[in-house]
Amino acid sequence: MSIVELSRVTAPGVSIEDLTIAYGGLPAVSSVSLELKPGTITGLVGESGSGKSTLALALLGAVQKPGKVTQGKVVIDGIGDVTRLNPEDLRRVRGAEIGYVFQAAQNSLNPLKTVGKQLLDLGKAHGVRDLREAHPLLERMGLNADRVLRSYQHELSGGMRQRVGIMFALVLNAHVLVLDEPTTALDMITQANILQIVREIQRDRSLTTLVVTHDVGVVAEVAQRIAVMYGGRIVEQGDSTRIISRPRHPYTRALINAIPRLTGDIDAAKPLPGTPPTLATIPKVGCVFRQRCPLRMEICDTVEPPTLGGVACHAVNKGEAP
Amino acid sequence: MIEGRGITKTFGKGVKALRGVDFAIPRGGAVSFIGESGCGKTTLGRILAGLETFDGGQLLRDGEPIKGNAFRRIQLIHQDPYSALNPTRTIESTLRDPLRLRAGQTGRGERWINEKVDELLSLVGLEPAYVLERYPHQLSGGMRQRVVIARALTVEPEVLVADEAVSMIDVSLRLGILGLLRSLRETLGVSVLFITHDVATARYVGADGELYVIYRGTVVERGPVETVLSDPVHPYTQCLLSAIPVLHGLEKPGPDRLVPNEPLDERTDPPGCLFAPRCPFATPVCVERPPPLGRLGHTPQDHACLFPASRHVVAVPLR
Amino acid sequence: MSSVPNSLSAGAQSKRRPPQRPVGGGVRRRFWRGVWVALKRRPSRIAGLVIVTLFVFMAVAGPWLYPDRLPYDVDNVYAPISWQHPLSTDFEGVDVLALVVTGTRGVLLVAAAAGVVTMFVGTAAGLYAGYRRGAADSVLMRIADFVLTVPGFPLLIVLTTAINVGTWWKMALVLGLIGWGGLARAVRSQTLSLRERGFIEAARGLGLPTRHIVVKELLPNIAPYIATNLLLAVTAYIYAQVGLYFLGVLPLDTSNWGVMLNAAVFQSGALISPDALPYLLAPLGAILLLTLGVVLIVDALEEIFNPRLREA
Repeated sequence: MSIVELSRVTAPGVSIEDLTIAYGGLPAVSSVSLELKPGTITGLVGESGSGKSTLALALLGAVQKPGKVTQGKVVIDGIGDVTRLNPEDLRRVRGAEIGYVFQAAQNSLNPLKTVGKQLLDLGKAHGVRDLREAHPLLERMGLNADRVLRSYQHELSGGMRQRVGIMFALVLNAHVLVLDEPTTALDMITQANILQIVREIQRDRSLTTLVVTHDVGVVAEVAQRIAVMYGGRIVEQGDSTRIISRPRHPYTRALINAIPRLTGDIDAAKPLPGTPPTLATIPKVGCVFRQRCPLRMEICDTVEPPTLGGVACHAVNKGEAP
Repeated sequence: MIEGRGITKTFGKGVKALRGVDFAIPRGGAVSFIGESGCGKTTLGRILAGLETFDGGQLLRDGEPIKGNAFRRIQLIHQDPYSALNPTRTIESTLRDPLRLRAGQTGRGERWINEKVDELLSLVGLEPAYVLERYPHQLSGGMRQRVVIARALTVEPEVLVADEAVSMIDVSLRLGILGLLRSLRETLGVSVLFITHDVATARYVGADGELYVIYRGTVVERGPVETVLSDPVHPYTQCLLSAIPVLHGLEKPGPDRLVPNEPLDERTDPPGCLFAPRCPFATPVCVERPPPLGRLGHTPQDHACLFPASRHVVAVPLR
Repeated sequence: MSSVPNSLSAGAQSKRRPPQRPVGGGVRRRFWRGVWVALKRRPSRIAGLVIVTLFVFMAVAGPWLYPDRLPYDVDNVYAPISWQHPLSTDFEGVDVLALVVTGTRGVLLVAAAAGVVTMFVGTAAGLYAGYRRGAADSVLMRIADFVLTVPGFPLLIVLTTAINVGTWWKMALVLGLIGWGGLARAVRSQTLSLRERGFIEAARGLGLPTRHIVVKELLPNIAPYIATNLLLAVTAYIYAQVGLYFLGVLPLDTSNWGVMLNAAVFQSGALISPDALPYLLAPLGAILLLTLGVVLIVDALEEIFNPRLREA
């Protein structure tokens, strides 16, 4: 299917197959396989150094040098393998087919131009003059479109800027939406509003959405499927309600257990010992989580656990996890 | 006991950050301020730490106004541990400087400084041998925040003001820092003022303490943490608690969960209750005059609402 | 007294620190090692270091390598390039290389001294203005702006004709006081942005004295900007001097590159004779080479002073 016909495809599926992205020999993302089913919201959860942002950028073919994809592919229905597109096709696909809302979208607007002007720039870059989507999108998100289009970045609040970021991502009718830390630095009420918008827009426009965040609460609220990343690997993935109620991988368990809760016994929540690895300190052999794992076994030191039933853990595979 | 009475602060173009706030922090106690961004909680924390001036009211310590050097007894823990440490200096020099100052004032020597450095690092859960010779960028966010806390402790403060102290730290490490703050209360008798928009974290530092809900520079609800969290009566508190993400699978949304409205316009000052324009339960009476902080309706906590009502907004555990 | 909270270091209390090493010595050693690492990172920087070291050597030792009165040989003017005269000879038969080497001290000494003056005045002004703000800031920055915008070279010409700048330190003073405006501005803007940083606020909150905050907390973070500005100012001072000597504004009794250039252009007809090209180009080449060396080093400066960049 040519690039031109893409606009007729609604809610494409995205398939990440055995993807490895390395920075000079050190893998930030290692053999990751993840499927984003059409029309769903998938949440990618991970702490700093987990590789989640790098993975998200790969969907856009925008991995920053010196990083590069050394293995695997990212296939989007109707577009093909994003990692192998030539620069011109890639440029056209970004924005028109794949919308990306950057981390701290609050700060990624040009401070010297009004929102409306930047919108026109975007349209010009894509040879699109029909930007009529912008107005209803903004109104749908509860903003006064005329006022916002006339405003500069500093005249808008954090929540408003985040919505503007979402508008830019969708204004050219993209059907794949990637949100990188969409609610970090926003307070609770604004966060709840943004998440509500994500849910509604997702439905209205048949999108396939990926939400990348460190906040389990965020994915619990919006995602149907969750994938948990640690040290560049996906350690567990599956249906979001199942993962939260019955996490199987020791990291997922510990992560959920480390969330401060509003009710119940305070001492039930426990922190994780140790610190998350950085690109340089990710172990090269064996399970990347073993140094902080309560179920560590000898085999974990030398053999990387295979993914069975969505979980990559020796203890779980052998049935030795409680 | 640290007290604030009627603290007011107005910024530049008539922006009223604080409108007469009263608070009290008992010795060794824990007080939490929660609210949205821009509500004034950070300003209040900075005023307490002596980093901002205030326009009206009094700051008292055991009845006496706090002036000059006395502010040293109140130390601020910033949100961003990286910018709170000098990137060109090792942890060792960062910790030794305030200690050297004290040693000079109290006539103590190098050996005392060394002992103190080791003692403080152990107290915050760090290994001196690992940490001292490193630069801030070589430590994880959690470790950096611990260093910041250790540095604050060099002057033997009475109060630690933790302003969003864990929001920039990885999730798996947050409880460690919160637990540290709690244990410091127990071991050193230091009080903690915990400022956050993540309400659940407030419980972990001071479940036995007081919770203040702040809206646009006023206190709208105030009482024991567990009471306010389990039985909030002010609609704003209920909106805040409704906004907390529900961990579907482990919990279900509270039956009375409110869909919160976002701020329409922070620049106007409505005549009556400040929250009335956004309040789902506002009545004409609410816009006539600002409700006073009290116990209307025989509630166990103080609140500023003319029609307080119990609503179950917090997520309900499924098991 | 200390009860170690859960999580991290269960072993903390049992681990004793290794014997105390003096903090001062350790820091200095680390700094110079960091300098070497930063320089090694790119070969161009080593080249810059070599060039600058060469010139410093020439400035310090040059005049001692040659007799006071350089040998001349009127039969050997504008000699072809050879091992004996790698840069040919001048209109009197004096070896050009000898002229360049002995002429280095003249310009470099004054430029370096002027740099020191600029560094002190500019840094002090910038720090004070940026940290104190208010009235002091306005006054100081008005002065700095004046110093910046008044055209330096014409002013120098006027000043040197009006004042007798016979001694090298008087010249250095005049140069240094004309060029501190840019440094002051750069230091001030860095100070302004740094003073809001958490660690500066924390230092204030801990009761650390202003002197400590400015010297130990602010300065190390501003150091790369000072060093960069300084090195570039020094090259500017070299140009200024050469220009002044070349124009004959400054007395021609000393031996330096500017005087060489003056002699080459105005006195010896070097512009007409093609054999005299090396004589004409030698001082220019020396200046350009030195500037190149400085620029290559400046590239390393930010890494040298920032421990985080050293490792990336």
